[in-house]
Amino acid sequence: MLVLVRDRQTILLLFLMPVALIFFMSLALEGVWADKLVGRKISMVVDNQSRSYQANLLAGKIKAHALIVPVERPAGADVDRIFAEGTAQAVVTIPPGFEEGDRPVEIRFDPVMDASYRIAARSLITSLAVEVVMGVDNLEAVVSGLVVERSGPNRELPTPLQQTVPAYAIFAMFFIAIPMSVGFLREKKDGTLQRLFTYPVSANLVTLGKITPYFLINVVQFVLMMLVGIFVMSRFIAPAFHAGAHPWHMLPVTLAVAAATTGFGVLVAATAKTPEQSSTLAATGAILMGVFGGIMVPHAVMPPVMKKLAMISPMFWAHQAYLDIFLRDAAFGIILPRLIILTLFAIICFYVAGRKVRWI
Amino acid sequence: MNALDISSVTFCYDGSPAPALRDFSMAVADGRTHALLGPNGAGKSTLMRIITGQLQGQTGGVSVYGLRMPDSKALSFIGCAPQPISLYPSLTARENLRFFGAMAGMSKDQIASRSDWALEKTGLAESSEAAVASFSGGMQRRLNLAAALLHSPKLLLLDEPSAGVDPQSRNHMYDLLMELNAGGVTILLCTHMMEEAQRLCSGLTLLDRGERIYDGRMSDIGNLEEFFLKKTGRGLRDL
Repeated sequence: MLVLVRDRQTILLLFLMPVALIFFMSLALEGVWADKLVGRKISMVVDNQSRSYQANLLAGKIKAHALIVPVERPAGADVDRIFAEGTAQAVVTIPPGFEEGDRPVEIRFDPVMDASYRIAARSLITSLAVEVVMGVDNLEAVVSGLVVERSGPNRELPTPLQQTVPAYAIFAMFFIAIPMSVGFLREKKDGTLQRLFTYPVSANLVTLGKITPYFLINVVQFVLMMLVGIFVMSRFIAPAFHAGAHPWHMLPVTLAVAAATTGFGVLVAATAKTPEQSSTLAATGAILMGVFGGIMVPHAVMPPVMKKLAMISPMFWAHQAYLDIFLRDAAFGIILPRLIILTLFAIICFYVAGRKVRWI
Repeated sequence: MNALDISSVTFCYDGSPAPALRDFSMAVADGRTHALLGPNGAGKSTLMRIITGQLQGQTGGVSVYGLRMPDSKALSFIGCAPQPISLYPSLTARENLRFFGAMAGMSKDQIASRSDWALEKTGLAESSEAAVASFSGGMQRRLNLAAALLHSPKLLLLDEPSAGVDPQSRNHMYDLLMELNAGGVTILLCTHMMEEAQRLCSGLTLLDRGERIYDGRMSDIGNLEEFFLKKTGRGLRDL
């Protein structure tokens, strides 16, 4: 333990890396996620070229709608410049002759605008134009009896912090395989491990003594990441982190994840021949597991094939177990199968390493 | 009673066509200092590992003070200083000793008093709180030996204990080994330094290509290097 604690650079890396990843990835996801979770307003320039009563009415209805943030067109700015400078995401032009039906209302969108927002904006402008042309005061109120929106609570799409806090905590926990395997191989190379086996202690006890500090560091890593998520990140990134109805379920999940990560570390140490090889193997393995497991790209937005492939990654099971707690308020019985899979992964890693390893 | 008895040991590494040790036997009487010499690849390190129970699966037998290995009590009689500097560089000298003392099953008080003794004997008392990484090669070698002495072993296995150290550290180490031997500690010394073997040891076993080629008294040999080359040949032993 003391050897590991003395390696300050590694310890710092193990704690600072996930904090940085959580912060920046949450920021990056915040905009995208806000769109998906709560909806975003569309900034829009309304260019009323007609100035007729109906055109003024339409322009007024558009600007007053809750989905729209009206933006004044900067003097002399053409549409391309408006989009290039991010002044607005859409420009609606109400041409002269609109009220007679001679020329249609024109909508131009920022080319990078999300397709679903284009559809929403187009539907909105269409319905408002229909209201004006048909003389209906509030079309939405008229059709409210015909179309009713019903949606259940969100159980799939986490908030940015719900996604990134457990995701990058898990990612960093798996990265412990690097110092762990490098440490094992270095001790093997310099004969320290051989020396340990000259004492009257069992090989299992020596191995357990080597693994336990890494296991504990994993647990501390997760606890700190959670504290950072709840008390620090929530100040910068909305919505604030919600730990679910049964936060104590985090304990068995974290222990199972720590078992899986240390198992992975031992397997890497047993497979690699040199410390350099082990660090490459551990890093590549962790990144691939992260890519597949919904760490880098959230599982909820993956295509169906990738969603199935994600199941090969222990990080997927770990992340889903945490999302069960934070997002779905799941009972322990729901989480249990994921814990069993993580524990099985750990057992397989330890077993294969035990068969393969030649410690001395 | 012999401190060490090795009888007809044959050992082959997995996948190796030839055995590393072939029907090898030797004995070291209690209280003696015995040299185990051989060219590179002769099987000395393999034998050391078999004695300490790190390698198993051989035919034949190894006994330490009458206890057939592997045996945890017999292991507690052995102090082993491997050829590599087998220490934790980020820990201090005292922390290293504390760790290895705990591995040997010693109590905290025993570790504290024996650490003071071992650090004093190896000339490291003043550097006991410094990180091993800051030590010179000679200091690291001496601490490597101190760690082997900590639990008061009756049989000391030394693999190249003076490799890469200056004459001052080497002579300090020789004086310590002779003092330990005078106090009853049996020493098995693996070395390539003929002068060292001749100066410290009363018995000699020559090992080559996994087989014993000589076993006798050091006093029967005049020039050990000439004797060694005569027995093992002058051809290079590149592995």
